[in-house]
Amino acid sequence: MTSFSLNGRDVTVHDDPSTPLLWVIRDTRGLTGTKFGCGAALCGACTLHIDGEPVRSCIVPLAEAEGRSVTTIEGLSEDGSHPVQRAWAELDVPQCGYCQAGQIMSATALLARNPAPTDAQIDEAMSGNLCRCGTYMRIRAAIHRAAELS
Amino acid sequence: MKRRTLSLTRRSFLASASATAGAALVVPLRLLPALAQETGGAPDPQSFICIDTSGQVTFLLPTCEMGQGTHTGQAQILAEELGADWASIVVDMPKQPAPVYRIPFIGQMRSVGSFGIRFWHDPLRRAAAQAREMLIQAAAGRLGAEPVELRAEGGFVVHAETGRRLSFGELVEDAMALPVPEEPALRPEVERTLTGRPVPRLDTPAKVTGRAVFSIDVTREGLLYGAVRLAPVFSADVASLDESSVAGMPGVVTVARVPRGAVVVAESWWQAKQAADALGITFTETPADNLSSEAIDGMLREALDRTDVPVTTLRGDAASTLSSEGRIVEAEYSVPLLTHVSMEPINCTAESTEERTELWIGTQGHDVVRMTLERGLRIPADRLFINSTYLGGGFGRKTHGEIALQAAIASRAVGGRPVKVLWAWEDDVQQGQYRQTMMCRFRAVLDDSGNITAMRIRLAGPQMGRAYGFDPERLAQATGNVANFDPFSLGGLSDMRYVISNFVVEHAVVDLPIPLCPWRSISHSFNGFFFESFMDECAAAAGRDPLEFRRSHCEGQTRMLAVLDRVAEMARWQEPAPAGGTRGLAVVESYGFYVAQVVEARVGDRGLVVERVHAAIDCGRAINPGQVEAQIQGAVIDALGAALRQKVTIRDGRAEQSNFYDYPLLRIDEVPDVAVSIVETGSPLGGVGEPGVPPVAPALANALFAARGRRVRSLPLVDHL
Repeated sequence: MTSFSLNGRDVTVHDDPSTPLLWVIRDTRGLTGTKFGCGAALCGACTLHIDGEPVRSCIVPLAEAEGRSVTTIEGLSEDGSHPVQRAWAELDVPQCGYCQAGQIMSATALLARNPAPTDAQIDEAMSGNLCRCGTYMRIRAAIHRAAELS
Repeated sequence: MKRRTLSLTRRSFLASASATAGAALVVPLRLLPALAQETGGAPDPQSFICIDTSGQVTFLLPTCEMGQGTHTGQAQILAEELGADWASIVVDMPKQPAPVYRIPFIGQMRSVGSFGIRFWHDPLRRAAAQAREMLIQAAAGRLGAEPVELRAEGGFVVHAETGRRLSFGELVEDAMALPVPEEPALRPEVERTLTGRPVPRLDTPAKVTGRAVFSIDVTREGLLYGAVRLAPVFSADVASLDESSVAGMPGVVTVARVPRGAVVVAESWWQAKQAADALGITFTETPADNLSSEAIDGMLREALDRTDVPVTTLRGDAASTLSSEGRIVEAEYSVPLLTHVSMEPINCTAESTEERTELWIGTQGHDVVRMTLERGLRIPADRLFINSTYLGGGFGRKTHGEIALQAAIASRAVGGRPVKVLWAWEDDVQQGQYRQTMMCRFRAVLDDSGNITAMRIRLAGPQMGRAYGFDPERLAQATGNVANFDPFSLGGLSDMRYVISNFVVEHAVVDLPIPLCPWRSISHSFNGFFFESFMDECAAAAGRDPLEFRRSHCEGQTRMLAVLDRVAEMARWQEPAPAGGTRGLAVVESYGFYVAQVVEARVGDRGLVVERVHAAIDCGRAINPGQVEAQIQGAVIDALGAALRQKVTIRDGRAEQSNFYDYPLLRIDEVPDVAVSIVETGSPLGGVGEPGVPPVAPALANALFAARGRRVRSLPLVDHL
């Protein structure tokens, strides 16, 4: 049994504590915005926040979430009104969209600790998130735009 | 107001709002005679436009949405011509690949070949015009007005003089009773206000909130999960399977045999995956067990020297391509196998019994899925229902249907319960189905002024089209070639756009025991590299500027010249390259879309750094210029990663790579600026998703040559830095 806060609500799950957090979030809790990609912390599609820090949930065992606060893309806002989501929509960033929840979670964590990042700081913070469609130019522009909107 | 609800099976997975349809306004599309014969011309129950009595407009679109923006583009075309309210339209896809959704010359419902806009533009526009005229006719009856006095706009038919108006929902039942006009009038240019300008994508809101449903996200009551163990050598099958090896493992429900392997079904995917990894399974020995990349290279190299290869393409005089008078330029090139690595791993959810099979899948090949299930499980087309989800990337890989068969078999193994079969990333890379590995030999004869008078090309490698049932001899006849023409291999060579008087292309076919699959831009992905590298070699041999040399071989090729001139302007080609920098040029037409690119790079301590890519393009009228730009930028980044450092190598009959650490995509800190300029020449529509790829590798290789004076003739470039 593992208890943690998920998007502001206390939850208790009975999955094996060694199960990667990703699968508990997606399959047990039904929050499918967080995506499965490489399964090896190489692509960033599964990025979510634990206590505000971006982590690759495909390699974090459920046990590590015990008593902590987990935020997924669904927890950023009810309606896409978070400044990062608004900037993403304004610049029409996504193509296939599969990596974008992870991109947005990495970007929100970056902006939380650095409200006006430079291109180089964006590159550094976002280099763990692959985009197979190559939306990187718009991602960079959207982070600058989100900084303005915040 | 009567309002029927939609059955669950028609539920939309693409729309964030659920589509409701009462009366459907069905506009049939006339089929080309050949396809009508092929499909028996059965009456088609579905088409592109549904309007319910509440006025909700739903478009049923014939191609998938895998990031290329086609759903938005197709909806723009339909909504504009129909006069629908853009803010409230819903898009969906049909659940069965009926004839009306097939591309006639492919004979399939298939999201390939950059056809989404360039092929479907006219049929969709005509269907919408038919629907509009029927609605206007119905309104004319109600209002006692002449159709010419009425306009369809914003979801209403409006009487301009009096301002009276009726909504599409109020009119749809009357409209349905009317005959479908054979020759609907298309809107004049001045009324085309929704296409030809940047329009935000319809799928963006769902994709920034995590609500967009990809097939991996599908949930069903009682859902089970499947993980696979497949033969690592592609031509092998299962030799032995010990189901008891996983019997006691947590969550395991059953093990299902599938072609070339097994699916372990469990209560959760993680449990299924643990069990699949532990599964006692062995595979048959095959003649390919010792196959290696070195052996494949040897086969291709040998084929370059074969003496029994027929001529495929002949322009002018063949003998002069062998002439030794003049300056002779010769070179050989090669490219490796590549894989697609779509971000969403291969997956499908199925509920399958003898009576009914329902799938949830993101696919580029609706008819391929249908045929795969027909062959593999004898599922008749009328008992198969496909719920199309968004695709987390496609790039060609999701044209194949083996995952649907695996999911259907797994579902049947548990009595028809829903099963989601999901491959791990390593399964995807190692079971990739790959972009062909190819070699190519060129010989050019230059005259005294350094112009190419004759060129001979021999391509060596597989002939992918045969696997899709295309007969190379019949295709040669149909395309004006001599013999042995496979467009999946020779597109970009046989039909290259330069003016060269004497020109021969041959294809020395080498069959490989490796599954192949079209990769973004198919043959152009390698032929662009081969041909445009060799053009650069010829320019260098003639001591001429690469731009001037190309232009001089483009007489009458106005679209080639237009994009070359535009890119030269963008990159200030007439000025010297910046100090310490280098640059290369390439121009390729593919899918009716012309692209010229200049790659600006630096070669230094950090290796090769690509700083900027200029792309000048002519795609005809850009339906959604913002998305055209996005596709070109994405294609350039895709192709740069491949050209710089991606390859799949074979050892002991299996792929050596397995994940992003040894098949590395470009990351945000490695990508250059990509500037895109659209040249409007009033040309026909070209396909947008793929043509950004082909010029990248040669432009980059040409830049490297300009910096070092040494030519790299095989990819990836990292092997030569």
